[in-house]
Amino acid sequence: MASDRITILCVDDEDVPMMLRKLVLEKQGYQVLTAPSGKEALALLHRGGIDLVLSDQMMPGMTGTELTKFVKAGWPEMPVILISGVNEIPTDATYADRFVSKVDGPQHLFQTVAEVLEKYKRAQRKNI
Amino acid sequence: MIDQDQANILMVDDQPGKLMSYEVILHPLGENLIKARSAREALDHLLHHDIAVVLMDVSMPEIDGFELADMMRQHPRFQKIAIIFISAVHLTDLDRIKGYQSGAVDYISVPVVPELLRAKVSVFSELHRKSRQLERLNLELEKRVEERTEQLRKSEEQLRERADLLELASEAIIVRDLAGFIQYWNSGAEALYGWPREQVLGKSIHLLLRTKFPPGYSRLSEAGTWEGNLTHLTREGREITVASRQALKAGGNATLEINRDITAQLKAEDALRKTERLAAMGRVAGIIAHEINNPLEAITNTFYLLRDHPSLDDEARYYAQLGEEELRRVAHITRQTLGFYRESKHPVEVSISALLDEILELQTRRMDFDNIALEKRYRSSGTIHGFPVELKQVFLNLIGNAVQAMPNGGSLRLHVFESSGRANRPSGVCVSLCDTGTGIDAEHAKHLFEPFFTTKSAKGTGLGLWISKGIIQKYGGSIRFRSLQLAGRNITCFQIFLPASDFETAADARASAPEELSVPSIAGVSDGI
Repeated sequence: MASDRITILCVDDEDVPMMLRKLVLEKQGYQVLTAPSGKEALALLHRGGIDLVLSDQMMPGMTGTELTKFVKAGWPEMPVILISGVNEIPTDATYADRFVSKVDGPQHLFQTVAEVLEKYKRAQRKNI
Repeated sequence: MIDQDQANILMVDDQPGKLMSYEVILHPLGENLIKARSAREALDHLLHHDIAVVLMDVSMPEIDGFELADMMRQHPRFQKIAIIFISAVHLTDLDRIKGYQSGAVDYISVPVVPELLRAKVSVFSELHRKSRQLERLNLELEKRVEERTEQLRKSEEQLRERADLLELASEAIIVRDLAGFIQYWNSGAEALYGWPREQVLGKSIHLLLRTKFPPGYSRLSEAGTWEGNLTHLTREGREITVASRQALKAGGNATLEINRDITAQLKAEDALRKTERLAAMGRVAGIIAHEINNPLEAITNTFYLLRDHPSLDDEARYYAQLGEEELRRVAHITRQTLGFYRESKHPVEVSISALLDEILELQTRRMDFDNIALEKRYRSSGTIHGFPVELKQVFLNLIGNAVQAMPNGGSLRLHVFESSGRANRPSGVCVSLCDTGTGIDAEHAKHLFEPFFTTKSAKGTGLGLWISKGIIQKYGGSIRFRSLQLAGRNITCFQIFLPASDFETAADARASAPEELSVPSIAGVSDGI
């Protein structure tokens, strides 16, 4: 086992916000991979080793919810959290496990990530 | 005309020589002379011509002059024909002539004096002509009277029809003299202004309706017509706006006025404009918020990383903290414009009473400090289906406003009660919230629920009540308020109604759930507030 650390895949078309999000999550103790688009995110997922996807909603090419559909189709047990600055939750956001606002701050993000991971861990334990 | 102007003069004598001499004597008169050799012949002419004067010899064989005159007098058509007897002066003749007494009867004695005969015939024929003319005029007059009567009857009918039409019109139709005194007032005017006709006739329209003229109203006498909007006061004291068309009556001594009530129409147009404006403002607010949120997250994260960075000394760390605090304020504002953001996907059972208690707990210190007394009356837990975050935002806004309105103390009263359904409203939960704060100006009241409207100058975003109303409307609920003065105190009450039925988007969310994908249910995840 390379490490017990949880690996989060961060997806965002904007470099600087993604880099800062990565740093904040790393400070919290997570390992973070980044992808600038949904397409590259799916390529990374195929390589494996990812525990959670944290994707921006508004991206050119493939939106966060579109990416979520692909992820859930290929990896039904992969937790997905969408993060957005949009006013209204898109109607198809229900594919993702959670939808968080960008203005809620790092603490809220940590809490959401922890909650979602905990839920999947419980589900896995039940399956075993 | 010549025939009519020429009178027929019938000369009767059995002696042709005499007839000829009469003809010569009478020729200068220019009348139509007819000769008859006997009474029988004379009767024949009488039947065929309109004779003005009969000049006859008294002594004729067979039927003499007197007998002919008697016959004529018995016949209604001939009764009025003038008769001039020509007679030798016998006493007996004179007596008989006098016996005719009435009627145009004269005599001439022989030998005939031509001037005298001419004069007498001329008088009678002139008389005849005049009476014929009179008859004709009379006839014509009668005909004209008949025609005129028919015309009058027709125009009266038309007038009655028009009057009926005027009464049918829903517009107010008014005629007034130049000084403004009302002369006509149709039933449309009665309906529009509430004044019955008999009470307004002869009164000044402008005093009665307190007309407010728009700027640029030109006097009718100059232009002849005028069209525009006027403000009038009804009998009940309601102010209405009418689209008015006015014109000077032909002759220029009165004004016709047709007014149509457009108050409701204007109000609807105004409301539509306002709604459109608000919707546009809402969209703009949303777009701006989104544009701010992206860099805001990056900056917030930057400060988060910076705060505990080992290279910072105490002073720099203090600055970073200040920056973080200010960022939280920015986040608060954009979150307000994000208003409808929900953390959970499905509506859950929410107790409004419990929600209010949570909010009040946060406000306790402030309320104690400001000397605000709290009166709670929960008659129900007030349970509805909804999203706790946004519901909390609604009541946090309202309670926050109330507390801020009472910096020098006062009392806050909160009531929660069930409202059973009515014809036009489902059953649900009512919350009433009254404070004794500064109150709401009538001028402010109009704009209370508009975005960016605030009375708190720099301290408020002007979005709180706008967002709150939007949330309540999403639930199919309503928010109303009243601000009044009671015993020298301002009382401001907000009443919120939220229907108890399932929140409509719950069904929407279920409907849009994917079929081909299995999405893990996260119903167990708690709602983060």
